[in-house]
Amino acid sequence: MTAVPAVSAGRRPMGGQQVAVALLLPIALINVVGFMLPIFNLARYSFNRATVGGGIENVLTLQNWTGLLGDPFYLQLILNSVFVSLGVTLCALILSYPIALYLHRASGSWRTFLTVLVISPLLTSAVVRTYGWIAILAEEGPVVSAIRGMGLTPPPLMFNINGVFIGLTEILMPYMILALLAGFGRLDPRVEEAARTLGATPWQSFRRVILPLTAPGIALGCLLCFVLAVSSFITPKLMGGGRVFLLATEIYDQAIVTLNWPLASTLSILVLVIFGAALVAYSAVLKRLD
Amino acid sequence: MMVERAMAAEAALGTPEGPDHLVLSEVGMTFGTLDVIPSLSLSVRRGEMVAFLGPSGCGKTTTLRMIAGLLDPTRGRISVGGRDITHLPVHDRDMGMVFQSYALFPHMTVAQNVAFGLEMRRMAKVEIRARVERALAMVQLGHLAGRKPKALSGGQQQRVALARALVVEPSILLLDEPLSNLDAKLRDEMRVQIRSLQQQSGITAVFVTHDQVEALSMCDRIVVMRGGHVEQYGTPNEIYERPATPFVASFVGRTNRLSGRVDPSGRLLIEGRPVAAEGRLPEGAVEVLVRPHRMSLRAASEEPPAGLNSLPGVLTGATFVGDLIQATVRIGAGEITVEQLTRRRSGLPEPGSAVTVAWEAGDTMVYPEGRA
Ligand SMILES: Nc1ncnc2c1ncn2[C@@H]1O[C@H](COP(=O)(O)OP(=O)(O)OP(=O)(O)O)[C@@H](O)[C@H]1O
Ligand SMILES: [Mg+2]
Repeated sequence: MTAVPAVSAGRRPMGGQQVAVALLLPIALINVVGFMLPIFNLARYSFNRATVGGGIENVLTLQNWTGLLGDPFYLQLILNSVFVSLGVTLCALILSYPIALYLHRASGSWRTFLTVLVISPLLTSAVVRTYGWIAILAEEGPVVSAIRGMGLTPPPLMFNINGVFIGLTEILMPYMILALLAGFGRLDPRVEEAARTLGATPWQSFRRVILPLTAPGIALGCLLCFVLAVSSFITPKLMGGGRVFLLATEIYDQAIVTLNWPLASTLSILVLVIFGAALVAYSAVLKRLD
Repeated sequence: MMVERAMAAEAALGTPEGPDHLVLSEVGMTFGTLDVIPSLSLSVRRGEMVAFLGPSGCGKTTTLRMIAGLLDPTRGRISVGGRDITHLPVHDRDMGMVFQSYALFPHMTVAQNVAFGLEMRRMAKVEIRARVERALAMVQLGHLAGRKPKALSGGQQQRVALARALVVEPSILLLDEPLSNLDAKLRDEMRVQIRSLQQQSGITAVFVTHDQVEALSMCDRIVVMRGGHVEQYGTPNEIYERPATPFVASFVGRTNRLSGRVDPSGRLLIEGRPVAAEGRLPEGAVEVLVRPHRMSLRAASEEPPAGLNSLPGVLTGATFVGDLIQATVRIGAGEITVEQLTRRRSGLPEPGSAVTVAWEAGDTMVYPEGRA
């Protein structure tokens, strides 16, 4: 209330701001050099022309964009990518939600142990885990044998969309669980108990209290998994056996195999547009939840 | 002083004499290896408000949660209106609970919070709206019906929690320290409000608190708990005037402790002097408890008042606290406190001088030594 705090309050933001700028400068530089510039380059390439042999002709043309948006193959590819990613996200959500809820309620060393268990898959690379899934789902693998053992005909699990689905779902689950947990902050066990004492059955209390209170976590987890699913290419590439075509695998093929960089750039920018749309949807959901 | 006033109010109201409504028989709760409630039995009459009073960690909340069905008792039986509910799921128990943290639904408005229990009972929308309106008017929050809980003050949240629990007209209302987060003024108001709402609706209520004034002023009967068992169960007047144990005496109101002996002929002696007490006395070493404000003080030179117990001592200090004077007096090896109302012309003797402490035989509380 006196002049003393006013003086220090006047000085602090100045010093604080300088420190903040100094601290943010390195990451800002890295972002500009490592992220903004490449994106800018991609955008530029997408308006250049590809030449035979992998060259880029520096002319301004809409050819990549018109060709891409007019080609049913690519439209199908975009839809495929979006729907597979949405499906994988939904599966990961359904499988992760109970785990996250259980983890949220667990306590002490049991909780620590389970959390480590959830995180541990992230310590191995997606390549290794994908090969693991190939071994499990392959023609002579344990899953197929088990289904045969029950006297049923197993569906084709490997080197098609089923395999991609299963593999991606499992690989994205740790991210989903962690995102859900991060968003469960508002879920107080007392509030659930209050619902139960007011006559809510466990299902009603889930529908009316737990689900709405965990919705921010669900939104966050879905955004994260969707983005990761759209951009993942190792798992679709390996588990799809060359028969599953998604945006990320196509970008890889165009950039590395066909050496058509302008087309790869155009597809990449398209992926960025999809991410933008996902972000817009996410913030709309968050706004509605509040 | 608070305590005395509260008791006068209580005596004027009288206690409901209905049949037993909520009955706990030999209920026990063990967490892992920790025996929190060894065995607890008590019954609450219909329309009665009973306080669970005791120090932190004595098992008040645990007992309340067992009644609500949020905890499964390890042993024993709980019944309401003669019906065994020990294993009835929470949502079928028809109890209203007010949590210490209020536990309002943060994603719902005040009106939606209050409507929740009615919706669970599948009541018609029109009826729900009417009842919610009435309940909010009752706690004077009608104007905040559209707010979210986080935009309310602590006292307002507390009233929403109360309205939410009462609106469903539960058979039993459970309150877990509902006033502990409020400031003194609001707490006083809410005490009166909760009590009058409870009496108007004739609802059976259990009120958990560790505040003795709250228990004495609001409740028909008090369960004094300690270490998971019932130390004493009685009306506020009984608890205060005839505490069953020294623990109850010192937990409810303040008290002085003196050591004495009861000789084989049944005479009570303190510092070798005979002291009168009412009732049967336990033989051997005893603890004698007397409330500070039931004692009076005068100079040793004055004639000790006839018909009263009196002990000689030395005045060691006096504190003036407005309407009271608190004097400390050394008697033998011990020290006691005497409280006297101040009068305009009553000077205390000088500190260090010899004094006589006096009290009525009926105010002497005697317990066998070592029964903490
Ligand atoms: N879930 C639990 N697991 C293990 N111990 C518990 C659990 N809940 C309570 N306790 C223990 O049981 C004892 C009684 O707890 P309770 O919450 O009933 O006390 P209380 O009388 O309500 O105390 P306070 O006045 O502090 O709220 C405490 O010692 C507490 O540590
Ligand atoms: Mg408690």
